[in-house]
Amino acid sequence: MRGVAHMVAAGLIGVSSLSFVSCGGGGGAGVVSAPPPPTNMVSVIVDAGPNNNSVNTLFTTVTVCVPGSTTDCQTIDHIQVDTGSHGLRLLAPVLTLSLPVTTASDGNSLVECTQFVDGYSWGPIALADIQIAGETASSVPIQVIGSPAFTTVPANCSATGTAEDTVADFGANGILGIGVFEQDCGSFCAPPNSANTFYYSCAAASVCAETAVPLDSQVLNPIALFPTDNDGSILELPSVTAPGATTLTGSLIFGIDTQSNNASGSETVLGLDLSGDLTTVFNALSLTQSFVDSGTNGIYFDDGNLTPCPPPTNPGDPSFLGFYCPASAQTLTATLTGNNNASVTEMFTVDNAQTLATGNPTFTVLPTLAGTYSTITNSNTSNTFDWGLPFYYGRRVITAIENQRTAVGTGPYVAF
Amino acid sequence: MMALVPPFACAALGEPESSVAGDVQQLKGSIKSTVRSNYRVHEIQLPSGTVLREFAAVNGNVFAVAWSGPAIPDLRQALGRYFDVYVKAAHEKQGGHHRHLLIEQSEFVMHSSGHMRAFSGRAYLPQALPPGTSAGEIR
Repeated sequence: MRGVAHMVAAGLIGVSSLSFVSCGGGGGAGVVSAPPPPTNMVSVIVDAGPNNNSVNTLFTTVTVCVPGSTTDCQTIDHIQVDTGSHGLRLLAPVLTLSLPVTTASDGNSLVECTQFVDGYSWGPIALADIQIAGETASSVPIQVIGSPAFTTVPANCSATGTAEDTVADFGANGILGIGVFEQDCGSFCAPPNSANTFYYSCAAASVCAETAVPLDSQVLNPIALFPTDNDGSILELPSVTAPGATTLTGSLIFGIDTQSNNASGSETVLGLDLSGDLTTVFNALSLTQSFVDSGTNGIYFDDGNLTPCPPPTNPGDPSFLGFYCPASAQTLTATLTGNNNASVTEMFTVDNAQTLATGNPTFTVLPTLAGTYSTITNSNTSNTFDWGLPFYYGRRVITAIENQRTAVGTGPYVAF
Repeated sequence: MMALVPPFACAALGEPESSVAGDVQQLKGSIKSTVRSNYRVHEIQLPSGTVLREFAAVNGNVFAVAWSGPAIPDLRQALGRYFDVYVKAAHEKQGGHHRHLLIEQSEFVMHSSGHMRAFSGRAYLPQALPPGTSAGEIR
């Protein structure tokens, strides 16, 4: 690594317009010099992940380069493919490159507290050229999670929960957010909204204050920055016969109606609201905060008639709390409706999570895995139906980015 | 620096209703209160765009909180003494379940879900729910 101490020091005193972040050691990282073949398609895989414990989690491989360089590059595998977030985030321990940290409007280092439901990820915003398949997005703001240059988490950030700043806690070497929006936070974090709880200006590693960030300086969805094939993406995964499979390989295709391999056609377009949500009608309830999400490991919904898994019998036993454990597989029906009033009725099957897992210990692909928002029988407590990765098995799901016009509609939408 | 100042000691969940005013001050929010049949709801509009609701029983104790919006609220403030219970339980569920968190203990129940730009969740004390109140009302 070159000049790490100098670059980090420059960042801490906030003198240069760009400081650098780098990260120690790290496995699984190779340097590439030749560009990948010109294509808009990259392979994606469901497997056990870097911690050997993932289920229904989709990964791909991404190459990042120091902006403008074709040699200071690193290819990183097991980056989670997530249509429920926006932008590339890498875990610092696997990153061996020195990437320039960006600055807040006051010239200090820009650091983000990314919120996930189960915790937060703290780390600086850095610039990188991102190469996936034959596509390149240049000088993209990304987040480096768990950087040793910024170890002091502000109280406002840790107030949302527990840290997910290591590969073990995060479950991946990084995450590629390719949802329907161009920025991760959008207008909520743009000037004058400094109290947004996401972005911080750090004069030193332990001196950080919330700050507003212009839209184009936020962490950005790299697809929107590709020179072509930038209106969205398509995930194509083969179907899986229950109870499942050890692994599953499919494709992530960039662009919609831009190449011969990404034409839209017979799919139904479901328009999404300003949050990226649609409505799902299930058990006669209209759940208006529903979403389709490759970053969820099951189908999640409330059904008081479906048996939830019990808590573990003995301390230390694997916990299936939060999943469903019906005595036999149940086939259910729900209807997804977009804000364009188009709708699709889906049948899906829910099986016993505990039996699925213990009976098939090598399976990472479990198409009938489903979870609940509450194990209290007959209490419909949630306004959400989450169509996670099992929904993607055996189909072609189009994700169109906001304001992008394709042959069949204008984003944000999902179509399948 | 402001970011280094610890939050106020006053809390919401499990605390007297009077702590709601402390939450409004600490969270820099604006408040709207409504009375339902057997509890009151204080709705705090946070600067982040998120709405935090605190549910107070007739005895004045906050028995539930719920939130919805583009950011997860300050849970150290909203959950009060139950924040540590939440953090411990969340940490034990390692491995990247980024969209769902369910904690069900005899004294404390919490569910948090959503995705970037749209989070929602609720936490409540099952033994303190007013008679005739269902968990489904806590939104």
